[in-house]
Amino acid sequence: MQRIDRTRAALLRIGLVTALALGGVSALTQRAAADETCNSPYMSNLIKGQEDFIYVWTLGVQGLGDGADKLVTIDANPASPTYGKVLRSVSVLRRGEAHHMGFTDDRRFLWAGGLDDSRIYIFDVFSNPAKPRLVRTLEGLPGETGLVGPHTFYAMPGRMLVQFLSNTNDHGGVTGMAVFTNSGDLIRTYAMPTGGGGDGYGYDIGINPNKNALLTSSFTGWNNYMMNIGQLIQDAEAMQRFGNTMVVWDLKSMSPQKVLQVPGSPLEIRWSLNEGDNWAVAATALTSKIWLIKQEGGDWVAKDVATIGDPTQIPLPVDISITANGKGLWVNTFMDGKTRYFDLSNPEKPVQTYEKVTGKQVNMVSQSWDGKRVYVTSSLLANWDKTGENNEQFVRAFNWDGNQLTLAFEVDFTKERLGRAHHMKFGSNALRAAHDDGGADQPASARLAKEER
Amino acid sequence: MMGRAIAAVLALCAGTAFAHEIATPKADFVAPAPGSYRLEKIMAAPDGVVLNTEAKPRRLSGYTRGKVTVLSLMYTHCSDEKGCPMAFYALQMIQRDLEKERSARDRVQLVSLSFDPKHDTPEAMRAYGGELVGAKSAVPWHFLTTTGGQALRPILSGFGQDVSRPAKAAEDDTGDMSHVLKVFLIDRAGFVREIYSASFLMPQVVMNDIKTLLIEDGVRVD
Repeated sequence: MQRIDRTRAALLRIGLVTALALGGVSALTQRAAADETCNSPYMSNLIKGQEDFIYVWTLGVQGLGDGADKLVTIDANPASPTYGKVLRSVSVLRRGEAHHMGFTDDRRFLWAGGLDDSRIYIFDVFSNPAKPRLVRTLEGLPGETGLVGPHTFYAMPGRMLVQFLSNTNDHGGVTGMAVFTNSGDLIRTYAMPTGGGGDGYGYDIGINPNKNALLTSSFTGWNNYMMNIGQLIQDAEAMQRFGNTMVVWDLKSMSPQKVLQVPGSPLEIRWSLNEGDNWAVAATALTSKIWLIKQEGGDWVAKDVATIGDPTQIPLPVDISITANGKGLWVNTFMDGKTRYFDLSNPEKPVQTYEKVTGKQVNMVSQSWDGKRVYVTSSLLANWDKTGENNEQFVRAFNWDGNQLTLAFEVDFTKERLGRAHHMKFGSNALRAAHDDGGADQPASARLAKEER
Repeated sequence: MMGRAIAAVLALCAGTAFAHEIATPKADFVAPAPGSYRLEKIMAAPDGVVLNTEAKPRRLSGYTRGKVTVLSLMYTHCSDEKGCPMAFYALQMIQRDLEKERSARDRVQLVSLSFDPKHDTPEAMRAYGGELVGAKSAVPWHFLTTTGGQALRPILSGFGQDVSRPAKAAEDDTGDMSHVLKVFLIDRAGFVREIYSASFLMPQVVMNDIKTLLIEDGVRVD
């Protein structure tokens, strides 16, 4: 028996196990090509089947419930008796402009940030995926980093890279990134480039490991994103203070390599997930364009490849979601409440093939890995959302058959007294951690202590 | 006899066939030169009690300090070609390349540490390491395990390594475990300076990182 085990161990070690009949051992060490379909390539445990939960990072509204920001968990499994219902709401007991979230590389923890109070909340989503638990709050980051407004939370191996939007000096758009251990300890910060055509602004992060390329985009600072939208639009000077660049960084050295001019505030970045593709897309909020970022002759370039709606009407594209095969792109435009689909078969010439009004105002759009389900939220920023009857606050789930979106369920966040629904992430019961204690211990420590004496 | 059989299997698989079975991620870029960038101190590598292949209890820090260390957390039954077998392959490539580097080779060590002590006994680790165990290489490779969960948990926690046994695997007793592949680069003082997961484990990049740490220590690398 021992001989068999020894031979098997040697074979396993050299990777021939797949040639052996070992009872259909499944590949459990997962290498992520991407999340469902928009997160870090370093993240594991993709949900490629039916998601069980939608986690919604929700802005508190004064007078609604406890008025605080909260992580809301919605049952998203059609087979569940509570399908489409709110399962849990974890309040952080204060209002700090809840905005975006991101998983750690092992998908055990969900980091969520406040753009106003610059706090980062870390939720345990693996002990019980149906009942996320707040386990740590990072406070005092502006003093520690000089940065304000943690926006994008991007998994790196064993750590989190966070893109901020602003700074403590003037609350403008010049900002930086900070990297933390997975448990929340600050490692160091990186300034966004202000030379070589850089405006120093930041927004999203996208990494292509095969190219050692980190791509960043640019939005605006605290002074603008906390300003009332009506007032902001009237302020010509403030309207000049939006980012107009994307930056290609050398990931290993974390040094900026090239600043790309992408006017009109390029927001979310999506690398194509198709094996062998090495291009990314981003949409510009103010100019309503889709931009393609790729290498031509070894040089990184940004190309304006499509128009979203009528730019003169400022549809305000606010989020994009790329399909797992890199052939399609959902685009949400806030002002007209439309969810649009672009055929990306030729990324040099995206073509819009579908659109539907999915709300009076729409912000984030997320799709399942198989592309069959599309989720939409309503809130952009507390002071930028529409008012009165146009201020719908919801999560809407749609089924996509390749031709049309059909409403599957809706959660009214005002009626449920939750707040403004912003960013979404998926959860699954299958990710619940199984206990493994490693077996009973032998008294080796005592033996070592004796030897050391 | 069986040792020779294993050696023969390894020899057969060490060439082209081996390369076809396992592939590290494609590096479609020119890696920055060693010493041209800085690797941050991510965290202190945890200490604890481990067992070597002779079943002797030893401090883990005895294998993670004094030299630059490349440490792979693994289990021998792992069958995912993008998992532990790939890490083993990458470490083998690194050892092979380092042995050619006169100024670097005596300053680096490799460690494979199991997180499945239930199955990966010192004897199983010795079988897993095969002829690499105790081999006379300028770049020693240590194969370690622990006595059980109590010894293992603080080490995994310190490295931030997730490991779980899915309910079905536990039920069927297949030995399958779920984890994110992680390989750690640790400096002479015992600080983790880089972490490689499956998308990131490129031997040439690891080599450059090792040399970057050696340059930091004042070593003139080739």
